[in-house]
Amino acid sequence: MILRLAFGSLMARALTVGMTILAIALSVALFLGVEKVRTGAKASFADTISGTDLIVGARSGSVQLLLYSVFRIGNATNNLTWESYQDIAARPEVDWIVPISLGDSHHQFRVMGTTTAFFDRYKYRSGQSLEVRDGAIMSDLFDTVIGADVAATLGYEINDPIVVAHGLASFTEHDDQPFRVSGILEKTGTPVDRTVIVSLKAIEAIHVDWKSGAKTSGKSTAAHVIREMELQPQAVTAAFVGVKGRLQVFGLQRSINEYKQEPLLAVLPGVALQELWQIVGIAETALIAVSGMVVITALIGMMATIFSSLNERRREMAIFRAMGARPRVILGLLVLEASLMTAIGAILGLMFLYIGLFIVQPLVDSAFGLWLPIDPPTLREVWVLLSVIAASAIVSLVPALRAYRLSLADGMMVKI
Amino acid sequence: MKTLPLAAVVVVTATSAFAEEARQVDAHEHGVGQLDIAFDGNQIAIELHAPGSDIVGFEYAAESSDDRAAVDAAVAKLAVPLDLFVLPAAAACSVVQASAELESEDAHEEEHANDDHAEHDEEHNEADHAKHEEESGHTEFHAEYLLTCAQPDAASEITFTYFETFPNALELEVQVVSDAGANAFEVERDNPKLDLRGMF
Repeated sequence: MILRLAFGSLMARALTVGMTILAIALSVALFLGVEKVRTGAKASFADTISGTDLIVGARSGSVQLLLYSVFRIGNATNNLTWESYQDIAARPEVDWIVPISLGDSHHQFRVMGTTTAFFDRYKYRSGQSLEVRDGAIMSDLFDTVIGADVAATLGYEINDPIVVAHGLASFTEHDDQPFRVSGILEKTGTPVDRTVIVSLKAIEAIHVDWKSGAKTSGKSTAAHVIREMELQPQAVTAAFVGVKGRLQVFGLQRSINEYKQEPLLAVLPGVALQELWQIVGIAETALIAVSGMVVITALIGMMATIFSSLNERRREMAIFRAMGARPRVILGLLVLEASLMTAIGAILGLMFLYIGLFIVQPLVDSAFGLWLPIDPPTLREVWVLLSVIAASAIVSLVPALRAYRLSLADGMMVKI
Repeated sequence: MKTLPLAAVVVVTATSAFAEEARQVDAHEHGVGQLDIAFDGNQIAIELHAPGSDIVGFEYAAESSDDRAAVDAAVAKLAVPLDLFVLPAAAACSVVQASAELESEDAHEEEHANDDHAEHDEEHNEADHAKHEEESGHTEFHAEYLLTCAQPDAASEITFTYFETFPNALELEVQVVSDAGANAFEVERDNPKLDLRGMF
């Protein structure tokens, strides 16, 4: 009965109520959206590397090493000399080791030199391997394998020639040694999608004529001469290491960290991710706080509209009282109306969120490599919605109590 | 309650014979130790590195009989891992191997110097040794344990009676690897428990 009354009353003021509901819906969608992006980002980061026991690079910070070696963000402070690399590779605990060499680019994408073992050893999303969508992994010196995003953005097909630029943002290109696309990888949702992979030797090959950082003018070494050279790298940027037994991880880590000949750093990817997340966590909390504020603002806005409606509904209240409604019923009616508005707003907000996710998902994925899963609401999100509704009930108590007091007085007095 | 990190000072030896030697000294923070735990099947490997000041309260070379006794007692305590890091009884863990020792950073340097510059032994005289010990006499206790557990999955909570045994220890930085991957934790004196449920 009272529910029908509340609903009817809301329908009678459809425009203002609609606006209030819209504000609540948007704020709820924003709050849940932030939550989605946060958990999506976290999962996507954590899924980027698995199966690697240690990442080895120059001694810097563990987060920095993780960022440049796995996420291709930032640059290495130093390289890892080939001698040290060999030393580590020769250790008895080491099951496999994959070197990577960064520093060149192709359009906006990073070029990474590595060995073919990378394709077997690099795992993402709890143990998934890289798959070649088209073509095959590189077999020739000037072969490249490109990530799915590289292929999609630049429109490359198998056997297309590509030219690798020297450095990261330079105009000089290694145009004397054009590469050929030999394979395109399946989309992974990791930074591999935005990487051009070449062999470690190819990185040396493109720098044959670049002895002093600038191109030696006049002469360029022909491809067939380069092929016959011994292209032994002097250094690599970092290396991914797998150990034979998990119990040996820490011993190997410690001995690399205490390696006397060169300052090196070995980190466990999971530990570095954890550290990274502690840093990002502060910004995350701030983001949640701001979106929480938006929800509170919407609820206060609702309180204001209820307050302003009290005056125009004075007569209505008096009639209810005259019909025998107790002041308590008036209070209950207002709280119920507020809860109904918020509940509708919350459901609408959830719909906005899912519509938004459907639209934004491919865009965010291609722009940031961030995959936002479209899942049914989690238990936590349901709790968020319920607590927003509960909060609205509490907030609406303020105008409702005023109405309660007014209706007591109005009921007594004859004049309106 | 955190102590300031002590930036360890690099000691430069005066002899020219060492001019080409690479110099590096680990960071050393009093009150904070490192604990590494690896789960593999039924086996759990644990490695502890703790500053001397955490364990015995001093870091100079033990010379008086009291100091020697303190070091010996500490090493004996460190050799009983299940009294320091208490695993749930349900895990039914037993110690396969346990070793504990006191190592000083000087010992590292000395060892290294001897390895690389055996021929310069005479130049590396006793006076240099004394200087080393005065200027960067940080010592570290190092312990390694290997446990086997009948029910390793039940070892999801570790209680650190370590902090009761060694009143100067304030914090342990813990790295854990298991089937679920690697993760880092901090265990502090105020809350000496480590919840590893996420690691199984």
